[in-house]
Amino acid sequence: MTVPYGAGQSRRQFLQRAAILAATVPTMGAFLAACSKEGPTSSGPTLTIAKPDSPVKWDIPADNPAIADGMAPEKGATLKIYNYADYLSPQAIKAFEDEHGCTVEVSTFNDGDEAITKLRSGVDFDIYNANYTEMSRLVTGGLLRPLNHSYIPNISNVWPTFTNPWYDQGWQFTVPYTIYTTGMGWRTDQVPADIGALKNPYESLWDPAYKDKTAILDDFHSAMALVLLKQGITDVNTSSADDLKMVGEQLTALVQATSPKVTITMYSDLPAGQIGLSQMWSGDIINAQSYLPEGVGTEILRYWFPTDGKGLVDNDMLVTLKGGKNPVLAHLFLNHMLDPDVAKENFSAIGYQPPQNTITADSLVEEEFIPENLRSAIVKPEYFDAGYRILELDADNDAAWHNVWNAFNAGGS
Amino acid sequence: MLQRSREPNTRLWAALAAPGVGWLLLFFLAPLYVVLAIVFGRVDPLFRTAVPVWNPLEWNPAQFSYVLSRIAPGDVYFPAVLRTVVYVGAASILCLSIAFPVAYYVSRLADKRKGLLIALLIAPFWISYMMRMLAWVNLLQNDGLVNRILNFGGFLDVQVDWLTGQPLVVVLGLAYGYVPYMILPLYAGLDRLSQPMLEASRDLGANRVSSFLRVTLPLCRPTILAAVLLTCLPMLGDYFTNDLLSASPKTAMVGNLINDSVQAPGQTGQAGAFVMLVLLATVLPMFYYVRVTLRGDEVRT
Repeated sequence: MTVPYGAGQSRRQFLQRAAILAATVPTMGAFLAACSKEGPTSSGPTLTIAKPDSPVKWDIPADNPAIADGMAPEKGATLKIYNYADYLSPQAIKAFEDEHGCTVEVSTFNDGDEAITKLRSGVDFDIYNANYTEMSRLVTGGLLRPLNHSYIPNISNVWPTFTNPWYDQGWQFTVPYTIYTTGMGWRTDQVPADIGALKNPYESLWDPAYKDKTAILDDFHSAMALVLLKQGITDVNTSSADDLKMVGEQLTALVQATSPKVTITMYSDLPAGQIGLSQMWSGDIINAQSYLPEGVGTEILRYWFPTDGKGLVDNDMLVTLKGGKNPVLAHLFLNHMLDPDVAKENFSAIGYQPPQNTITADSLVEEEFIPENLRSAIVKPEYFDAGYRILELDADNDAAWHNVWNAFNAGGS
Repeated sequence: MLQRSREPNTRLWAALAAPGVGWLLLFFLAPLYVVLAIVFGRVDPLFRTAVPVWNPLEWNPAQFSYVLSRIAPGDVYFPAVLRTVVYVGAASILCLSIAFPVAYYVSRLADKRKGLLIALLIAPFWISYMMRMLAWVNLLQNDGLVNRILNFGGFLDVQVDWLTGQPLVVVLGLAYGYVPYMILPLYAGLDRLSQPMLEASRDLGANRVSSFLRVTLPLCRPTILAAVLLTCLPMLGDYFTNDLLSASPKTAMVGNLINDSVQAPGQTGQAGAFVMLVLLATVLPMFYYVRVTLRGDEVRT
């Protein structure tokens, strides 16, 4: 993602946090099932966590109905969008402005907490770029406006899984925006070995041969999930104290072995040559192509994600906010972004793939949109069946994860 | 002089002090109380954001004691605390050894060119700190100018990874970033040095070196202290120099710990606890400074 320094931080923070304090939601069964798996209950508030295997259909409060059908868009309005920096194509915005004679104003945030704090303060943004890990807080906190599907016919263009997602059954609040995987990126001139062909590619980050050349995502959950996956533990939301202790020890070993940079700017650091091997988001390696210095070809870039899809997969989405003054335009904008041509242009601007039916791995390579050597960075629908998802942790577990992460970041034991 | 200044019309003095006191109350004490209320406050159960608790009787020390119990030698946060002291100390010494000669030269020796030199000294402030650091990122990256110069145009194969967790780079970055903040106060102090006093020392037979050591240096001790404090304090809380030039846990400082906990949901209180500790650690030298400057005034009178 072409975010200036710091901007993506927000994103990763967003990705991680999520879940659901929703004792009031009609999902008690799923909730109890989830709890029984979580071991002893925490002293904090009870959280319901929407999971792929325990989907949630949110209640729509009576005082917060969707808008009526067939309303005219607001005239001469300013549509306010709250988004990560550089995560929306200027061209897509311009086209929408021209079509509807309105002004689009994009405000950006750097951090998920910052965004939610601001949303709670009663700002009048119309559209927000959310992650499923925030759904419970957004819905339970009454920040979202339910969608009227009649304004969004373009939903038919997206992968079927996203028309009834587990985090928002019946897409009552959300439309999908981008999809990405978290894997390993490297450049062949600095790392001659074929990382993807290794038995355990994650392990290469612990290989002293790459000392001072590596990086991991500055996102506690993604980075610690990498350690878990490396150790063969696929519960990337574990609440096991032993697992977390092991992760802490592995991170200490990691610092000693390769002293990785902890950052989210690999999309520019890797092409600049500061990093040779890194944990990476698929969108960032696609983006990295445009950051390569002159004379360096894109053929040196590589990305690995398990071909069977058993890795970290993720998606962001667009939601409309209850406090927005232009609900009709907001619906139309969501529909606009789901248009195949707009979505594709947006993809080329931000590097993150939309889940559009017309965009397939083959078509992207054929049209030379993505070079053959980065084919592995293209997200496929089946990944969302096999992949692992980072979910919101309940309060106590979240604190336990963060304590391990902060200790690692402090460079201590 | 000291005595006279303490006596006169107290009402006038109170009136003159009012804006300053108001400023301190509004922009220092009140925010400080907010930090305390957050350190000892609650966490919103739904959004995991900090909820300040205003009544000290209801304060919960959990977050503060969490931090406090982890900063002793051998604990997880100790290396970062130690690193902060070492880095800031080294950077301050480096700053002083660069800034003092420059300030001395400008104030004592550069007669005609003084105006120009002062303008040049202020020049770095025209460019944002962030921009200057980003420029270093460019220079120090693997195919950057520094490595290219070290390669002598390809004759040697030197590939130094400057930007992946090198303590030296962080210290140099801090020194580079904060040296202008040290030159200006030093210049201001040195410029005010009493010329007759220096002449007297020379008249009484001191040579240049001993006049410098026995008159100039003691006279500008408060100035040096002020300059060092002015640069030390922001350095203690600095995190972005580190983030830009290293971003490795190996060089994490207290500023980074604060930044990390602020961004972690529900841990804003821990960040506040670090802030309080840094504050405590800096208030002590501040008192010393105040004492020294008061004594300096007495010496002058």
